[in-house]
Amino acid sequence: MLEKLKRIDETKIEIPADYKPGMRVGGIIYVDEVLEKALETQSVEQVANVATLPGIVKASMAMPDIHTGYGFAIGGVAAFELEGGIVSPGGVGYDINCGVRLLRSNLKREEAALRMKDLVGVLYTEIPSGVGSKGKIRLDPGNERELLLRGARWAVEQGFGNAEDLGKIESGGCIDGADPSLISSKAYERGRAQQGTLGSGNHFLEVQYIDEIYDEKAANSLGLFKDHVTVMIHTGSRGFGHQVCTDFLEVMERAINKYRIGLPDKELACAPLESPEARDYLAAMRAAANYAWANRQCIMHWAREAFLKVFQASPKKLGMELIYDVAHNIAKIEDHEVNGKKMKLIVHRKGATRAFPPGHPELPEIYRPLGQPVLIPGDMGRASYVLLGTEKAMKETFGSTCHGAGRIMSRHQAIKRAKGRAIWREMEDRGIIVRSAGRETLAEEMSEAYKDISSVVDVVHRAGISKKVARLRPLGVIKG
Amino acid sequence: MGNFEYIDISGDVGLRAFGSTLKEAFLNASLGMYSLITNLDSIAVEKTAALSVESHSLDGLLVSWLNELIFRFDTYGFIGKKVTIDTLECDTGNRAGLNTCKLSAVIEGEEFDPGRHEGKFLIKAATYHRLRIEKTDGQWEISVIFDI
Repeated sequence: MLEKLKRIDETKIEIPADYKPGMRVGGIIYVDEVLEKALETQSVEQVANVATLPGIVKASMAMPDIHTGYGFAIGGVAAFELEGGIVSPGGVGYDINCGVRLLRSNLKREEAALRMKDLVGVLYTEIPSGVGSKGKIRLDPGNERELLLRGARWAVEQGFGNAEDLGKIESGGCIDGADPSLISSKAYERGRAQQGTLGSGNHFLEVQYIDEIYDEKAANSLGLFKDHVTVMIHTGSRGFGHQVCTDFLEVMERAINKYRIGLPDKELACAPLESPEARDYLAAMRAAANYAWANRQCIMHWAREAFLKVFQASPKKLGMELIYDVAHNIAKIEDHEVNGKKMKLIVHRKGATRAFPPGHPELPEIYRPLGQPVLIPGDMGRASYVLLGTEKAMKETFGSTCHGAGRIMSRHQAIKRAKGRAIWREMEDRGIIVRSAGRETLAEEMSEAYKDISSVVDVVHRAGISKKVARLRPLGVIKG
Repeated sequence: MGNFEYIDISGDVGLRAFGSTLKEAFLNASLGMYSLITNLDSIAVEKTAALSVESHSLDGLLVSWLNELIFRFDTYGFIGKKVTIDTLECDTGNRAGLNTCKLSAVIEGEEFDPGRHEGKFLIKAATYHRLRIEKTDGQWEISVIFDI
């Protein structure tokens, strides 16, 4: 089947609309010739399957970090008309508003490296992580409802961080239209003790330094300088969001019978946007998105406290300001232009990051001249990137770009590969201090298990759907 | 312990569980999933929980059942070592052509303690991805993939 794919230019290939029956539009996958070789047949099928869904506009797309997911491929971007279109929980993923935030600091790499063991130790103690861990925050049904409505604002009101942080979060850290009355009692229960927890798997908190600047003017405007320390947090809505997704997949399964939507794959279960099922899912998804923004806000607050404790400096001297916070698993109603026509669309990004251009009204004022900061985490041994959104992304990909490296090795394969090795020591030899709750997490998450993030970022940069600003290297890593 | 094996899949993990009866295959899928979360040898039998789920298909029943176990673990830390399935039945066909499938079971285990128990995979959900429940040569086989 893969021989049917056509190369459009050096950064993208096309899945023709006759690739499989029922496709309403074609597919576009952003890969160069090297990454094309790593494409899984199943993930290409999934991009084609999404193209069969009602109301899809322009093309079913995937970013260079594409890999097989459930229904929709990870790295997928798909936009649907509001009239005649659908919404699908599978196009968002189980971890609703999984995302990334980045903090800058005035600390220099050398100063930080001297205290890295202490810092990683304090961060590990202060930030709950790992399988079966409980958070320090206990929600009751009353304040959990408030949190679902107010997201990161709720966290700031509870004393986690400052009001200035809110302006530097996608959607202000609080998306409108959340309805806590649509949340199941199970999701409430599951979320009660998980606010302010990192989770496990590929979620992390990383202390990094800026090792390469690609666009000095943009980097300086963002407050990023060579050799300065940054902190990156990658986590989502935890068990709360997973339960919301699980609950609504059942609702959607009934909806496809009710509305007679024919699907090539059960995991694409969806409902017409105008249906009560779709409205309810979106309102519940937004509540979960707010849960995630509050979560990253709380974790950031504890990270700042850990730095203050270890470096015994004033907040002003440390200068740990939030750069930005992006969601990479979410569906949003946005304004786009398609074939010269202004349209409101529902854009699904599943393992894809919004990358809005300079001047976009949804950006905070400070970033309007620059474009939206895009935060791309890599694996724990190599690098992460800061990029900016572009006009070309707006034109080509509904203002979207990649979200990470993407695995190339299964978890068991990685664990097997790491047998007899002390991954933490290998990392320490490379100057990276790691702490992890799970014995096998470090093996699962070792560098070799992932694509090289640089090759992924190079494709989106060369394709012009975002542009490189800075590269960050890890110094200390907390894993669940 | 149970009759199951792991499926390797990039990004996530899966299980193949076997049984001479459907009940036994469901039981082995449950134990297999627990063994992805922690080492079952370290789990004691201290508490019991009686659980039941319903669905309108057998596939749906398996997914709902495993998701119920995931919910109990992720919310209350409850992890099972022993699973006894009392009922597992499907009535065929109402007017809409939907089945009613029911499962009730008793789980014996304890509360997970990160200090004493090893945490392996944090399972978010059981999925329909490549889900199969089949009987061949008198042997039931279940394949299920989990989102991690």
